[in-house]
Amino acid sequence: MTDPAQTPLRYNEDGNVHLDFHGAVNTTIDFIVSRYGVEAMHEIFRRVGQDVYQDMRRHLMAGDADEVVKHWRHFFDREKGDYDISVGDDEIVLTVRRCPAWHHVEKIAGKVSPNFCDQTTITYAAMAEGTPFAIDTVITGPGSCRQVIRRRT
Amino acid sequence: MIPSDHFTRFYNEVFKFLERQGEADLERYFLEISHNQEKHILELIQKEGFEGMYKYWSVIRDEENCELDLGYDDRKFELRMHLCPSLTKAKDNDAERWDRYCDHCAGWIGPIMDKTGYHLVYDVIDRDQPQCVMRIFKDEEDAREAEKDVRLLMGWPGHKTTT
Repeated sequence: MTDPAQTPLRYNEDGNVHLDFHGAVNTTIDFIVSRYGVEAMHEIFRRVGQDVYQDMRRHLMAGDADEVVKHWRHFFDREKGDYDISVGDDEIVLTVRRCPAWHHVEKIAGKVSPNFCDQTTITYAAMAEGTPFAIDTVITGPGSCRQVIRRRT
Repeated sequence: MIPSDHFTRFYNEVFKFLERQGEADLERYFLEISHNQEKHILELIQKEGFEGMYKYWSVIRDEENCELDLGYDDRKFELRMHLCPSLTKAKDNDAERWDRYCDHCAGWIGPIMDKTGYHLVYDVIDRDQPQCVMRIFKDEEDAREAEKDVRLLMGWPGHKTTT
């Protein structure tokens, strides 16, 4: 039998990283919000959460939150984020002390969109919608947040 | 965060949304991205011309893990993409790919070349294949001549093609 912990992520990029893409996300968020409103931006993030991340959503549907943890570890490591993850019986908590995306945008653009962190809040909430889990995000400061995965009661 | 590795799949969702709004909306977005990219490339081109383009796309080749060849001579700069990671990821995607995904490259690069006085000829070849050839000329006549040999010529805001 295959050990789920050993199976690769659906999107399992390696090689170099191009952090400037976060700047293009920032520009895109401001563009969409200013012309179409924040709900339009959130709908796009919901599509990312549910269509692009179908595989993580399938794992959540099946009662498995480990794939999201594996995803977090892989990509925060790749981008050298300062974070930790605690896995408890009732909840899994990702604590991001220094978000590589937020800080890179601040460095290259000088100003981070007030809606920048919606990419996290809305995408993950949508990914978990209709599954046995909820994923809630609390922004704890500039470029820091806490995401919590809990079983719905 | 949405990882930078997954930007292209996010981008793909943005394109689908904007296409539903209309072609003018897509063009406005290409111009916005082009404006955003100016901070990375405009000064390099204005100060160093083809060498500046070479420096910019060398970084892109490395950071985005592209398989491409770059080169220039007195007359033109050429980028020959053998394996585009952007389209490859947009296709390797559980969400549906926007069928004109490749249009965004000329969509942001073209306006920068217009602004700096160069002439872009962007051959996407086939929107379903992760290969393309971008040539940038100093002389407009050379560009018009080069357009005769392309398989799928891309336009950009303010520069329509009939392909």
